[in-house]
Amino acid sequence: MSDKLLFDRIDEPGLDTIEVYMRRGGYESLKRALRMTPEEVLQNLLDSGLRGRGGAGFAMGKKVSFLPRGAMDKYLVCNADESEPGTFKDRELMQKSPHMLVEGMIIAAYAAGANRSFIYIRGEYELQAMKLEAAIHEAREAGFLGEDILGSGHSQTLVLHRGAGAYICGEETGLLDSLEGKRGNPRLKPPFPANQGLYQGPTLINNVETLATVPHIIKMGGTEYAKLGVDNSAGTKLISISGNVQRPGNYEIELGMKSRDIVYGLAGGPEPGREIKFWFPGGSSSPVLTPEDLELPYDFDSMAKAGSMLGSGAIIVVDDSNSVVDVALTLAKFYRHESCGKCTPCREGTNWTVKMLQRIHEGDATPMDLDIIASVQDQIMGNCLCVLGDAMAMPLSSMVAKFRGEFEQYIEEKRAAAGFGEMPEPSPIAIAGAA
Amino acid sequence: MPRPERRFVTFSIDGREVSAPEGVMLVDGAKYGDVEIPVFCYEPKLGAPVGACRMCLVEVEGIPKLQTACSTPVKDGMVVHTQTDRVREAQNSVIEFLLVNHPLDCPVCDKGGECPLQDITFGWGRGISRMVEPKRHFKKPLELSPLIAIDRERCILCYRCVRFSQEVSEDYQLVLNERGASTYVGTFDGHPYVAPFSGNIIELCPVGALTSRAYRFRARPWDIEGAGSVCTHCPAQCNVEFTVRDERVLRVLARDNEGVDDGWLCDKGRFAYQAIHSEERITEPLVRDSESGELVPATWEYALDVAAAALQAGGSKTAALAGGTTTNEEGFLLQRVVREALKSPHVDSRAGLPQVDLGLQQALAAPGLQATIPDLEFAHTVLVLGTDPIDDVASLDLRIRKGVRRNGVKLAVATSRPSALDPNAKLWLRYAPGGEHAFVAALEAAVTGSGDLSALCDAADADPKALEALAALLKDGGEDVVILWSQRLGAAPLPALLNVAAALRLEGRDGAGLIEVPVGGNGRGLREAGVQSNGGPGLSAPKAPGKPAREIAAALASGDLSTLWLLHADPVRDYADRRLWERAAANADALVAHATLLNDTLREHATVVFPAESYAEKEGTIVNLDGRVQRLRVAIGRPGAVRAEWQVIADLSKRLGLDLGVLTGPMATRQLVEAVPFYAGLTLKEIGGRGVRWQEREAASAAPAAPAGPVESGEPLPAPRPNGALRLGTYRPIWAAPEVEVSPALKFLAAKQQAELSPVDAERLGVDNGAKVSVTAGDATVLAKVFVRGNVPAGTVFLAEATAEQSATELLGEAPQLVSVEPYGQRPPVPLEGLARGARPSDDEVNS
Amino acid sequence: MSEQSPAVARYGHGSRIPGWDDSVDLGKDPAPVPDPATTPVPPQLREQIEAAMAKYPNFRSAAIPALHAAQDLHGWCSPEAIEQVACVMRLTPGYLTAVATFYDMFETEPVGRHRVYVCTNISCSLRGGPELLAAVQQAAGEDPDFNVRGFECLGACDIAPMASVNGEFVGPLELADAEQLVADLREGREVLPEKQLSRRACADPGAKAQAHE
Repeated sequence: MSDKLLFDRIDEPGLDTIEVYMRRGGYESLKRALRMTPEEVLQNLLDSGLRGRGGAGFAMGKKVSFLPRGAMDKYLVCNADESEPGTFKDRELMQKSPHMLVEGMIIAAYAAGANRSFIYIRGEYELQAMKLEAAIHEAREAGFLGEDILGSGHSQTLVLHRGAGAYICGEETGLLDSLEGKRGNPRLKPPFPANQGLYQGPTLINNVETLATVPHIIKMGGTEYAKLGVDNSAGTKLISISGNVQRPGNYEIELGMKSRDIVYGLAGGPEPGREIKFWFPGGSSSPVLTPEDLELPYDFDSMAKAGSMLGSGAIIVVDDSNSVVDVALTLAKFYRHESCGKCTPCREGTNWTVKMLQRIHEGDATPMDLDIIASVQDQIMGNCLCVLGDAMAMPLSSMVAKFRGEFEQYIEEKRAAAGFGEMPEPSPIAIAGAA
Repeated sequence: MPRPERRFVTFSIDGREVSAPEGVMLVDGAKYGDVEIPVFCYEPKLGAPVGACRMCLVEVEGIPKLQTACSTPVKDGMVVHTQTDRVREAQNSVIEFLLVNHPLDCPVCDKGGECPLQDITFGWGRGISRMVEPKRHFKKPLELSPLIAIDRERCILCYRCVRFSQEVSEDYQLVLNERGASTYVGTFDGHPYVAPFSGNIIELCPVGALTSRAYRFRARPWDIEGAGSVCTHCPAQCNVEFTVRDERVLRVLARDNEGVDDGWLCDKGRFAYQAIHSEERITEPLVRDSESGELVPATWEYALDVAAAALQAGGSKTAALAGGTTTNEEGFLLQRVVREALKSPHVDSRAGLPQVDLGLQQALAAPGLQATIPDLEFAHTVLVLGTDPIDDVASLDLRIRKGVRRNGVKLAVATSRPSALDPNAKLWLRYAPGGEHAFVAALEAAVTGSGDLSALCDAADADPKALEALAALLKDGGEDVVILWSQRLGAAPLPALLNVAAALRLEGRDGAGLIEVPVGGNGRGLREAGVQSNGGPGLSAPKAPGKPAREIAAALASGDLSTLWLLHADPVRDYADRRLWERAAANADALVAHATLLNDTLREHATVVFPAESYAEKEGTIVNLDGRVQRLRVAIGRPGAVRAEWQVIADLSKRLGLDLGVLTGPMATRQLVEAVPFYAGLTLKEIGGRGVRWQEREAASAAPAAPAGPVESGEPLPAPRPNGALRLGTYRPIWAAPEVEVSPALKFLAAKQQAELSPVDAERLGVDNGAKVSVTAGDATVLAKVFVRGNVPAGTVFLAEATAEQSATELLGEAPQLVSVEPYGQRPPVPLEGLARGARPSDDEVNS
Repeated sequence: MSEQSPAVARYGHGSRIPGWDDSVDLGKDPAPVPDPATTPVPPQLREQIEAAMAKYPNFRSAAIPALHAAQDLHGWCSPEAIEQVACVMRLTPGYLTAVATFYDMFETEPVGRHRVYVCTNISCSLRGGPELLAAVQQAAGEDPDFNVRGFECLGACDIAPMASVNGEFVGPLELADAEQLVADLREGREVLPEKQLSRRACADPGAKAQAHE
């Protein structure tokens, strides 16, 4: 038995076909699940302690249990809009083992009582969409999708839906609007998707990796799966490492592994002669951590305790050849570009932040602007309709707080280069406002 | 469908105990405790809250994050804070963000002084700006439509305007383009946002981003006064507030009345006020000069003398027609003078439509059988029969859409012409123009299960299966059925309609019943006031029945009648058979008219034209289509020598030897109320600003009792068979009206004649979309531009009535008819055999 | 004060954003749902859109697939393309414009047929993404067949810096690869076959070790 679940022999040729997948025991979990009652399947999911792998880390079984019981149109939506910068794990999974996701979705839908299911895949993943489309077709031909699957009475359709390029569609309600054929604006919550989601029906939304894990939970049994990993962070996790490391890529680890072992052990650390300046532990939306934090175990709670988050499990490493200001500007520009524009703090806050950072970049700023930047991030946080605003504000706040010295030095140098010379007297307005 | 019941809950806000209806949002609930929570995007009229602007963040104990008060319903025991540091910080933040790109050009902004952004910034803003970056600048103002200017710098992206377009008027033309900070309000590929209700977005805009091109820079808020009244352009009678500066109406705003308009106005109601101040307005009496033969200005005394002499000479051979903005009082006094002083029974207000038997009228108007406008929103099923609200009674279009969208009302549309509501309907049915009687009889057959459905459907050229489905929907789709039917159906189908209502047991059921769409802004009120040939005040039987409008025309043309008295009526333009009316006007010995604008008929034939009041100058009452008696109030002084119309009628009456005993407007109202039993006791005070449905008052029991039992629905004639020609269907577009033509802002919308053809017929005739064609019936021809529409039934051509030129009324005879359509300018139109005006198809044709 | 960087136009008049400075054309008619009688739609496109509409409980869900199909046919979401989709879906062209302009992959201006998205987001920018974009842009020059765009994270940070070339992910790229990439496209060859992501094995040594039982 391999210690890999999702990545077990992932490169085996033909694994994307139902033939090889089934030869390796694929769809056995489905058969087993269909012999159980939906409640038993749900119990396994609850027992497994599986937390959502998309970013929020919400307990998956609990999410399923939120759906109302009874006969009605219920939906399962797989969030395959993997767009968080630094994250690319679902891409590899869908491309190489699409049936794992399909099987997981059928089991999850059975547990939730959902008869219609969708995969919302980001438009840029064209190869992965083709692979999934083929897999869905094969699964349907094999009788795993359609009416009365394997005589269980459970019926299910599965439609692959391609997006068209918008980060915000990874936000679950933005995704729902987009899937309904609208602009991908997030919705006001409540109502939550579990009650009123797709087409106003109860909807379960899960990430690719979460759903792909489901067959393994059924195979092992929920309680057995829960033994993997550490407390409150059960199971294995796919992590994507990128940035200034020697071996970027996807790795499957057991949660709780020491961060340093991931960054240096698996990914090889930065190029020789370079030091890590900071790292994002969970995608670009997570507050940055310093090299000292590499001693922490990589799990949900430890990252949260350190003031950041595990997020999508995407580690981005930034070495000392880069300026924190440049990274901040790249980041802010990204969030400005991806803000849907619906709510004020995010739309205007991201835009204003970019303008301020650009001013720093051009040498037309003073350290006081850092206070305004920090204050603007505070004004965004918690006041937005969805989490996109916070997704910029959190890492930016952390960068300004942890690297204030570097920001100030950068400002001074750029000012000098731009010929501004002496620092001006502080403006009373700026002081009053920043207070 | 029962309306939701409301119980009250108690919650605490800023330390006060407040009681508010359960389920209302905190923003509204707070008002019960006199707490104001600022909002931009929240507008309950637009549907569910979107929570976009974040202005209304408040602290709710037990919830860690600040909550948007616009989307949080009040609950028992909830503890809310709106004054804490945290809340204030959030409010300051949102204001600061909103102003990041707002130009703050308030001194030159049209919204200045009545701008929610200004007010809220003052009340909840930090008062300073930390933004030192340059603001974005764009070209401004830009045109969004001929009516609306857009200033994108000022836009705070609150979503109100696009939500209106998408979720209220459902025209889906105004949208947000791009994303994030680049988002802007726009349309498809530079097409203007022209839609019947577009002007509402001006009123919705909480900043100066959307402004009225007609009102821009005409006044500052401190220059103006608001004057509440009622719009008289259509029978919906939406409640309005005139913005008045120096005795001029500069703007019309909605004055929300849930029972009438739901807070929306159509663009005609919003912009046609310009007709009040038209250069062409008649402001002094005009009398035809015997020497020059021209109308020349005259003194009131002279004009009254001439008119009185003419009417005296006409005596019992005088006929009077009222329409347009005529109030109940004016109509009432008019019929008194004609009936009592001139001893003539010939008064009418029904726009040339067939006379309806008085007993039938009484039965259809029975208080227990009347539905209300809000019922359209909450019924199980609504049947729209023979009318397209967008043209006939605009604001009801929005009301019906709302019912379907919000409450799942099942809508059925049965018309001859494709309706704007078809896409919202569960079921839509078509019948041939001329097949109205057969169609309603078929509906009766389908609902009652008796009668020969297939023969009747054949006669109406309707689909029997669709009729069965409609009957099933009406019978089994829930008891609350509202049938919105048009006076334009004519008289013949009405017994069958009454039988349908009886079969569905609509009488006496709250939330169900009939609503008639009358023709003319006060069509219902005038009939109740007694302005009809076979009905006196209060739908009583008159001493002697008179001739209905069409017979009046024939009698004038033949000389049987000699004098015509017109109160805001323009039969040549508005009534069927234009050429008969032209002959009638030309042949009349005398023509006395009260009008605000001259038209060709008056110019050529009028003996005296009295300058009439516009609706903003009048006082009096009118009745909207569900029986709500509403009050017109004087908003501005009368221009020039214009006098009150009741006074002019009273003065004439005195000269004719009858003292009406009316010295003030309210005295006229009192006379009317005394004469109409079911208005008994009604006072102007009781009517107030919101109006009163007379059916809801005790006096309603005095409504005339209708003859009991089922009525004979009669043998319908089949709709004409096209047999190579085309059936003619007509409609009156919302934009076919003189007030549209003389309002500079609306002029671009004035209806032009177009021939709506099915693709099949267009191909058969060899005409393309946009080509010019001649439409001929007998020796009458109308020129029109072809408009190929996929959903027009083959075999029928639709033309507009009452257009300024080339009106379909040229072609309309007494009976439904066939026309020939030819490409224009290629060969001379050749009248087809047997297609003479009014010709009926032969029995062979009917039975083939 | 030093020279102004063009990045922030100061006190300038005019917009960098398409659409903001545009008035409507008052000569045009309003744009309701197009009438099928007067809006021809290529049969193949109609079929694709109708098939997409049939897949969902609510036909509106097919808006994005329908726009993808129309863009494939027309090369971009031209007003004509949008009208055709609107006609088949019975929606207003305005609705579809709103949708099309929201998503990065829909082109609302005419573009070249070779789609090259170069990632400039964080992981790629740490490894030279912006420079790569400049190099590809320079290599493509003014060639109207090319549509070279900087793009947000494409989900392939393991091969940073990378590009998506007509949907095929290639990386890690060096600046020198830009010329080759453009040449391959011009010649109709497979683009940088050895750098295609589809041929890349998983980085996890554990996964590899188990590749054969």
